[in-house]
Order: sequence, then C-alpha cells, then structure tokens
Amino acid sequence: MDKMSPAERFHAVLMGEKPDRVPINPFILGFAAKIVGMPLGDFYADGNKCFEAQFMCMRLYGYESTPMYGYASCGPWEFGGKIGFPYGEGHSAPYVIEHPVMEIGDIDKLEVPDSDKPVGGYVEAQKVCDRCTQMGMPAIFQGGSVFTAAAVVADTSKFLRWIKTEPKSAHALLDKVSQMYINQIEYFVNRYGAEKCVVFDGGPVEANTVISPQRFEEFAFPYMIKVHKKIREFDIPVTLMHPCADQNLNIPYYIKLRESFNWKGIYAWIFGPETPLKTQIEKFGSHDIIGGNVDPPSIQTKSYEEVVQLCKENIEQGMNNPRGFILCPGCEFPPLAEPIKPMAFLDAARQFGVYK
Amino acid sequence: MVSKEEILEGLAKAVIDGDEVKSEELAKKSLELGIDPYEALMNGCNKGMAKVSELYECKEMFVPEILLSADAMYAAIDILKPHLKVDASAKKPAKVIIGVAQGDIHDIGKNLVKMMLEVAGFILIDVGKDVPVDKFVKKAEEEDADLVTISALMTTSMMYMEPVIKQLKAKNHKAKVIVGGAPINPDFAKKIGADGYGKDAVEAVKVAKNLIGA
Repeated sequence: MDKMSPAERFHAVLMGEKPDRVPINPFILGFAAKIVGMPLGDFYADGNKCFEAQFMCMRLYGYESTPMYGYASCGPWEFGGKIGFPYGEGHSAPYVIEHPVMEIGDIDKLEVPDSDKPVGGYVEAQKVCDRCTQMGMPAIFQGGSVFTAAAVVADTSKFLRWIKTEPKSAHALLDKVSQMYINQIEYFVNRYGAEKCVVFDGGPVEANTVISPQRFEEFAFPYMIKVHKKIREFDIPVTLMHPCADQNLNIPYYIKLRESFNWKGIYAWIFGPETPLKTQIEKFGSHDIIGGNVDPPSIQTKSYEEVVQLCKENIEQGMNNPRGFILCPGCEFPPLAEPIKPMAFLDAARQFGVYK
Repeated sequence: MVSKEEILEGLAKAVIDGDEVKSEELAKKSLELGIDPYEALMNGCNKGMAKVSELYECKEMFVPEILLSADAMYAAIDILKPHLKVDASAKKPAKVIIGVAQGDIHDIGKNLVKMMLEVAGFILIDVGKDVPVDKFVKKAEEEDADLVTISALMTTSMMYMEPVIKQLKAKNHKAKVIVGGAPINPDFAKKIGADGYGKDAVEAVKVAKNLIGA
C-alpha cells in the first residue's frame, strides 16, 4: 500500500531521499486526450485543454508527473512558420506545414523572438504552466533540443546536408535557435521564478541512427552547453533530459555536459529504450536521477501482463540507482495504448518497487 | 588519357564522397569516352553506393553523408540514363510501391530505403508520406506491384500498416509487404501479417531481394 502521496513521492526522489516506492512519470501527453475523449488536435491547439486532459488523467491513475506542453517539432512555429495540429487519422503530435527556412538565405532573415513574451507553442505552454503553478505544481517547458529544433525550423533533409556542405550557415541557424530557447526560458523564469521552473530538453534528430557522434560534438553539443549554461545561471533547480531514440554514441558528450557544470542542479535522464539502464547508472547514477525506459511500442502492442513484466525488469535494474529512480517509458506513452496500460506501470511499481 | 577503370573508380569514389560535381563530370566523361552507360552505372555509381550501404551498416556513415551520396549518384544517373540501351529481352525489374503510413510525415528513412532499392535494380513508385491505406492498395493494383514497402515512425501511424496488408490479401494481390521504421520490430511485423521487416535501409534491400527471389 502506498504510504506517500504522489507529490511527496516525487519530492523525495528530487531531494535524494528514498520514497515509499518507485515513482512513475508515464510521459503521458496525447494518451490523456484519448482517455478524456478529447480530439488530439484540441489537446495541442489549446493549452487549457492540454492541462485539463493531463490533470484529469493524473487524477484518474494517480501517477507522479506534472502536466506539460511540448512536442518534438518545437521551433518552426516560434520562428513564424506554420504547423498543423494532429486532427487527422494516425497523427500523434503537431507537425510542420511550412518551415521558416527553406533556403540558406532564409537563415540570415530569421528573427530571434525576444524574451518579453511567449511565442508559438510557448503561448500554449504558458497556459499549462499558469494552471500548474496556481495549484502548487512546477512549470515544465521545453528548452531544447537545439539540434532537433534547427532540423525542423529548416527543411530537415536540407539541414542535414548543410551540416556537411554549409557548416557556417548551419551554425548560424543553431545559434539563433539556441537563443530562442534561452529567451523563452528567461521569459518563464521571470514569470514564475526559477525555483518553480523545470526545463525539458530532448529530441530525436541527434540520434545516432541519423548523425554520427562527431557531428553531435560539432553541431549539437556547443548549443546544448550554451543553453544549459543559462539554465545554471538562472539557477533552475530541475532539468529533464530526454536523449530520444538511440543516442548511445552521444553519451560521452552528455557526461561532458554534466561535468562542465560540476554536476550541479538536479538532472533526470530518460534515454530511449536502446540505452541499457546499467549503462545509465554507471555513467550518471552517482549524481543524477535515472528514468526507466520501457519500450513504448511494446506498451501499445503487448498485453497488460507483458507490460507489467517489462516494468518489473526495469524497476529491478534501476530502483537502487544511488541518486534515485523514476519508472518511465523510453519516450512518450503511446497515445493509442489501452487504458489499462498506465495501471501496468502502477501495479508493477507497487508490487516490485517498494523500498524497505 | 584517363582509362575506363579510372573513370569507374572515380565515379564510385564521387558517390562515396557525396561529390555531386565530380560525379556529373565523370558521368559526362564516361559518355565522351564511349563507356557503356550501363557499365558506368553498375560498376561506377552502384559500386560506390554498395560501399555506402556497407559503411552505413557498420555505423561509419550516417544520414547527412548518405543524402549527399544519393545526390551524387542521382546526378550521374540523370546524365547516363538517356543513353542506356533498352534490352527488350531482359527480365523486367520488380516494381515496388513505397510510402510512409497514414498520419506520418517522417520520410527521411523512406527516402533512404527508396534510394537503396533503386540502386539494387528495383523500379520504385513513391506514393509519399501520410499515405491513406486505400492509396497503397490502389497503387499496388494499378502498377501490378511485386512489393509494397511501408515505413512508420510513430506508434499511432504504425497501426495503419495492417489494414494495407489485409486489403491486399483480401484482393489476393501478389504484392509482398515489407514494413519498417523506429517503432516496428520483427514480432510486430509478423503479428500484422507482413511478409518482411527491415530494421534499416540496408536490411530492407536484402529482405526485398529474398522475397522476390532475386
């Protein structure tokens, strides 16, 4: 039986204390819309609806995470491009209709939004954060990844070519995107106070199925450092890192990021299911919280019993991480998973994740 | 005087290096020297692309480099293609319908598979991204396709692979279906009745060749 409330449990992990059992961050976004019977497009088009769906879902299941607004194609809308909301069959998140950068020459013309107001998706994120902070929850918002955002601000396949053929222009774009993130972070810090903010940083385009670790070092790492330097200067206490998909070859740079700031701040890592928990614990476990990484497609396609088993394995590998462990999927909870699946996470945590 | 071997090797190297200018230049040069365009294509460009596949498979080459190699290869193909002799007695290459599942706009993986299948000698009909189930089926019928390849990057869009397979089977269509993409694994492919699964572009080509007995 649970001895702590979800908020107490999450707080304990963040503070480096042992909770009653393993907490759960099911990384639920679109799934919440389905559970409450809301069109997925509405969930992303209106921050208030986004909050309400996640808050109801949170209450229904009793897991430990806080509502947030975010999606992988962050960037184009913020720079004046056009995005579409996921109203169509098979859609899962907002998608780019018009990239602000189609040709190299467009990079120079790109104007970085100021820090005096939220832009694009941050307008909706602000609605979610307002509601969260009014209820004593933290304000979680996106602060990266710079590389993934640049790859969607520009036409993706062109951007990937430019990092080889037009490296100076690619750097110019990455610099502007990193400044956009810094300005938006500054806006949220001014609005809520740094102590109430949590930055979410993660994206899939820097995965090693797309770029080499050398390109990561040259084009992703410097801008990640730039944004995190500001996060540290603002003294934002908690950062959620989600190196999406297979980023095993980039791990040395994520370690370097943490070393650059003497492992300061509370960092929680949610790697893709391709990265073994053992590796994560070895590399980050003494300083940072490790999030489990249950395979998302399996959550959707396997039975309740099989998902409980996957969670059990995850818990057994991760729960004794020195700096703490949170059970998570390795990416967003599949929006089409059966409603019983978050219960598989909770049941596994209650059966196999109790701290003595 | 440049030899035929040097031209062919140069073409392969230009493709590996993703050097579009060099590959165009050498394709033109090969025509000037009277090299059979088919040989320039097979022993120059395709040889280079085969090496690219090999390097990609062992994680020594990644998507940006492959995109540039593809540009270099297509630049040479554009020059050589009009000069290829048509052999009416030759066995017809297999036809492949390729596209991204409904609801999904991520097409870089699909484009890599397309390029590698083309290099392997298949005829590709690209139906694009966010492709409705009916369109895959209709196109397979219209083109009398031998293979249908579907990719998906999202857990929401991968659910639109099975209806394509079911509809093709219901119509007794001969096309075999290969699926792939980040959320797909062999178990899922089997469960939905796909004939093959490719974990990446290189494997998709091997599976495609096996399925048509090439």
